[in-house]
Amino acid sequence: MVPMTLTEFSPSASQAIYLASVLGAIAVAWLLPRQPAQRSWPLAGCILGCAALGALWAILSPCCLGKTQSVLGMDVNAFRYHYVFGFIAIVAAVRVITHTRPVYAALWFILVVLACAGLFLTLSAEFTATAAVIIYGGAILVTYMFVIMLASPPQDNSKKADDSTDAQGYDLAAREPWWACMTGFLLLAVLLTVAFDVKKLPEANPVPAEPLALAQKMLAPGTEIGNTQQVGLDLFQNHPFAIELAGILLLVSLVGAVVIAKMRVHNEDEAGLP
Amino acid sequence: MTPETMSSMSQTALAHYLAIGAILFVLGLIGFVTRRNLILMFLCTEMMFQGIAVTMIAFARYHGNLAGQAFVIFILTVAACEAALALGLVVLLFRRRRTLNADAWNEMKG
Repeated sequence: MVPMTLTEFSPSASQAIYLASVLGAIAVAWLLPRQPAQRSWPLAGCILGCAALGALWAILSPCCLGKTQSVLGMDVNAFRYHYVFGFIAIVAAVRVITHTRPVYAALWFILVVLACAGLFLTLSAEFTATAAVIIYGGAILVTYMFVIMLASPPQDNSKKADDSTDAQGYDLAAREPWWACMTGFLLLAVLLTVAFDVKKLPEANPVPAEPLALAQKMLAPGTEIGNTQQVGLDLFQNHPFAIELAGILLLVSLVGAVVIAKMRVHNEDEAGLP
Repeated sequence: MTPETMSSMSQTALAHYLAIGAILFVLGLIGFVTRRNLILMFLCTEMMFQGIAVTMIAFARYHGNLAGQAFVIFILTVAACEAALALGLVVLLFRRRRTLNADAWNEMKG
């Protein structure tokens, strides 16, 4: 039986969600890069963002503080670590979208990936956590780093090698930060209204997967199979067609990347075109 | 720990993880809309993928099955393909105009 610990959804909780969203929207819009950079005052944005997170936590905390494993349904220590990883992920995500230099944004994104891997670990998804670190933090971010280095615009040597003047002009000013934050955080408020409402969440529906039952029969009785074996069995016995499709997708994108890399382009600046 | 022995996560804990996933998704969305650098825009799509992955894994744990974890592996596949192709295109665009500014291509009106 699933313990129902979220209290009945009250109108005040809904108001608090919208208040937190407004605070978060102002914080992110304040922190986004804008011109002139001298007028930005990042501490105010940080305080507002922490206030927004605190408001969200105040809605959720009454139903989880001091609860035992039986009520929470998961390990209490894992649940405490989830707060740490979640905070790191959100702060690093804000830095990714507010940093004026792409290399540092990519480095902050590695921190987002690592914190998300920590969140996966608290949810006992060890294989996915490792895969995310290797594929995202390793392969994809290295590709991003290569492209940032390859596609760095010509530096103006006459300027001072200062942090503020080193960034490109288009990185220093965000496009319509207030409208974008308003729309984004309205979406967030709606999503949270659904996520925090007991009546709108689906019932937990634990069904032991069929291949796992099969594997349990083949193994010696009492043998535990780990998360990696479970995911492997589930992948290859429940989703064989999707695996074929993923293979075709990887092949097509490999061919496409080679074709794009060999394509000849003419430099429009040198040709005198606009 | 097999799914049979894993106790089901409570809805309170699920709501915490859903909130983190939603916040990551929305931050990625805002970054995609506001930033003018082509590379940063694609980095923000990857951040939206991360938010979705957190949501998927949380629901997998909540329902006690492995469908969410398998789906995250397919998300990783698609993200890798998308990164390779999109960054190839970004380099192509950069070689034409010598800038990463998305506004340099604003005469492409659909």
